Amino acid sequence: MKTHSRRSLMVVLAGIVMLLCLTIGRLSYLMIGRAKHYAQQIQDVHERERSIKAERGVIYDRNGVVLAANRPVCTISVIYSQMTDREKVIEILSKELSIGEEVVRKRVEKVSSREKIKSNVDKSIGDKIREYGLDGVVIDEDYKRYYPYHELASKVLGFTGADNQGIIGLEVYYDSTLMGTDGKILTLTNARGVEIENKAEHRQEPIAGTSLYTSLDVNIQQYAQQACEKVLKAKNAKRVSMIVMDPRQGEILAMVNVPEFDLNEPYTLTMETEKELTEQERSDLLNTMWRNFCISDTYEPGSAFKVITATAALEANAVNEGSQFYCPGYKKVEDRIIHCHKRAGHGAETFLDGIKNSCNPVFMEIGERTGIKNLYKTFRKLGLFSKTGIDVPGESSSIMHKEENVGAVELATISFGQSFQITPMQLITGISTVINGGTKVTPHFGIRTESPDGETISVLEYEEIKDCIASSVSETMKYALEQVVATGSGNKAYLEGFRIGGKTATSEKLPRKSGKYISSFVGFAPANDPKVVAIVMIDEPEGVYYGGTIATPVVAEVYANILPYLGIKQEIQDTGEKKSTIEE
Amino acid sequence: MATAARQRNDQTRQRQEQRHPRNQRQTVQKQQEKTQRSYDFTLLFLTVFLSCFGLVMIYSSSTYIAETTKGSADYFVKRQGLAIIVGTIAMLFISVNFDYRIFLKPLGKIQFHHISKFFPFRGVNLAGLFYLFAIALQVYTLFFGVELNGARRWISLGPLGTVQPSEITKVAVIIAFANLIYNAPKRLNRWTGFCLAAFCMAPVIALIGKENMSTMLVIAGIIFIMGFVASRKKMYFIVIGMFAVAGAVAMILFGWRKSRWEIWRDLENTTIEGAFQIKQGLYAIASGGLFGTGLGESMQKLGFVPEAYNDMIFTVICEELGLVGATAVILLFFLIIFRIFRIAMNTRDLFGSLICTGVMTHIAIQVIMNVLVVTNSIPSTGIPLPFISYGGSSVIFLLMEMGIVLNISRNLGHS
Repeated sequence: MKTHSRRSLMVVLAGIVMLLCLTIGRLSYLMIGRAKHYAQQIQDVHERERSIKAERGVIYDRNGVVLAANRPVCTISVIYSQMTDREKVIEILSKELSIGEEVVRKRVEKVSSREKIKSNVDKSIGDKIREYGLDGVVIDEDYKRYYPYHELASKVLGFTGADNQGIIGLEVYYDSTLMGTDGKILTLTNARGVEIENKAEHRQEPIAGTSLYTSLDVNIQQYAQQACEKVLKAKNAKRVSMIVMDPRQGEILAMVNVPEFDLNEPYTLTMETEKELTEQERSDLLNTMWRNFCISDTYEPGSAFKVITATAALEANAVNEGSQFYCPGYKKVEDRIIHCHKRAGHGAETFLDGIKNSCNPVFMEIGERTGIKNLYKTFRKLGLFSKTGIDVPGESSSIMHKEENVGAVELATISFGQSFQITPMQLITGISTVINGGTKVTPHFGIRTESPDGETISVLEYEEIKDCIASSVSETMKYALEQVVATGSGNKAYLEGFRIGGKTATSEKLPRKSGKYISSFVGFAPANDPKVVAIVMIDEPEGVYYGGTIATPVVAEVYANILPYLGIKQEIQDTGEKKSTIEE
Repeated sequence: MATAARQRNDQTRQRQEQRHPRNQRQTVQKQQEKTQRSYDFTLLFLTVFLSCFGLVMIYSSSTYIAETTKGSADYFVKRQGLAIIVGTIAMLFISVNFDYRIFLKPLGKIQFHHISKFFPFRGVNLAGLFYLFAIALQVYTLFFGVELNGARRWISLGPLGTVQPSEITKVAVIIAFANLIYNAPKRLNRWTGFCLAAFCMAPVIALIGKENMSTMLVIAGIIFIMGFVASRKKMYFIVIGMFAVAGAVAMILFGWRKSRWEIWRDLENTTIEGAFQIKQGLYAIASGGLFGTGLGESMQKLGFVPEAYNDMIFTVICEELGLVGATAVILLFFLIIFRIFRIAMNTRDLFGSLICTGVMTHIAIQVIMNVLVVTNSIPSTGIPLPFISYGGSSVIFLLMEMGIVLNISRNLGHS
């Protein structure tokens, strides 16, 4: 080889060496310098994540009775590429899961990485299938929410969806508390997603959700529900709602909305339907079925609201116990004549008589004397302009007149509970403030949360505003309301030996003259030191619709059961002679 | 001038040997002594070692794919093992039983240079015939070849499987071009001669370039380097090199093979289909670290890197053996290249020296381009890693090339 060629060849070799060094340099950069950058991307490619569902927190009543729990269930799926004997898989799965062979065959023979055959399978069936040891059949364990009392407090508790997330009620409000943290199994897989044996598995254990203790009492709830169902059936009403609450701090002992629905079958309609439903109609009906009327719907409170009017009047010193009134059977307000329910008129009455008789002209007079400014001041203090802050979702706001728009007619109608709308929850909360000595409470269900091993995590606290009304006013009102039950329109709530106070109401639904009413009664006991307050509302009863006639006995019936249960002793006391007059 | 004189001396001696058989015997004896002394066993060992290492890596990288697509884990290893055995036997046979100068032996009496002094071949010799045969094979492939993955690059041999004629062409080009230069060493120093040489090699480049861009680049590179080494006029090659660069720029500007260019530029975010392979290859390389995950422990070969045993096998080497292993493999290649370089430098015979240059360039270009492609340093193109990537034709003809180089190594210092 000539010298120049040798030189050229050396140049070529030098070039090759340079390029080889370049490749080594590039490799070093990728394998050392960029290793971290790619590591995460690689992890994502290789690891398949399987989640382990966390057990949802349990919901208890106040005595530790389980209201919502979890039941282990299985999801059965098949992996096409791993099945060795498809015929056997089809045969066994269709037999054990009681699904048609054709349906199973279609899923088994579908070429997919993973095909779900059935979810929410009972654990015992899942275990049985596992025992066959079929290749390519995967059994994943899971939890399904289970409600041992089915219909009890359905609209309060709520239920969860397929992904274990709350859909309505407490399950939604306390979702983040109850939910827990799902665990993970990270497994290395090849490009087809098949797990590789002998490769380390990262396992992140699930953290079970926190349990919730509520103020509900299963027994009281059951009594209340039975009573409501009874009257629902007897009066062929559209629905009956009831709230039983401790007025001292706002703990709700029972909240009933009959007809309830089965929480384990939340998508099964309780109402009968004649025709085939469209998706939209079905979904509307379900939403109605799930609706908690006690907090989501407003209504005209009617005569029961006179408690609030009277309180406002006493607060403003516009009247006192002995104030004298005269009822001719109507009152002329501006150009209108507004009648009393007793057309003949009650004649001369004291303030106390007015409440006992639920006399409209008296209250129009009281309202006029108090004035809208003072009325609204008390309303505001009692929370009628704001939501109660109850710990379930979907609370409605009240519909009130603007203060500057209230004329004499509006003032008159407001005074006896018409021309505006509030929720039953707002009414019972307001009345609680009146009878508990003037403390505005936040009605609530949640009392405390507890970790799965029984340690209290937090005691839930709620806002309380003291001295919203004077205690003397509270005393007067309690006395007046006790008289309503003892000798007035609420006498059907009278229970031998118990001191019960209350107020009846019959609200005509809008539009007027439709003949549809809501009959209601608010009652509390013991009247001198209330430990329990209850409201019942019968929506669209047939036949007799007076609250004092049909609603009051419902509360009486419930109280007859729960007052001894709550440890409220009978007091031997002469509460005066009973009157049988039914007045409204 | 000195070389010319030496050449004349060579020829005279050959003639003398033919006349005096006794003398010849002595020379043979002498040659055998020298053969024993200078046969490059190091190169032989390196070549066999690298091929066997390749076999191990093919076993590691192909079992998963072989199991899932071919039904038996050793499908690829068996075939490659057989190719290596055949290739090694051919290599040993060629390296010992022939004198590589057999390629120069004229066939028949037709001396073309009598007809035209411009015709590059003195006559049709074995090298020329081999070259014509390779061209014929390429033409045949173009029309009757087997199409795989959208490219017509294979010839079916019936039950023996398929063969990739471009691998034969590489050998033929090296020998033919060496022959062309050897016959008129100074031709490349003249403009006309340079063009003539280019004209002779053009058909192969055109034929292969149509179906197999990357092989065309390898062959063009081999011709370029061989010419560069042989010619005194480096300017020609600088100009050609500039044309090549301009051609590449034009290619990019006019959007030929646009997708590959785009994958190269923005691998992380691109969604072009071909990016997957390169990306997965990079993942494999990046997960290697310093010492690798260990032989057989690659994750990426489990279907993530498509055909991991093929052009992408270096990524599996990186993943399993780490930077240290990958560098060792590159060093092994360098050792082979260096041994061939040494033979090229020490052979007095220009023909042998040029063949060595061609083989060395062949291996070097493929190693460098393969590693640059799998590291996404240049736009992707399919080039197998010599001796290691799966492919019977590739390894058999490479080993045969090595056989020729080993054959040349026997004559080191021969004067």
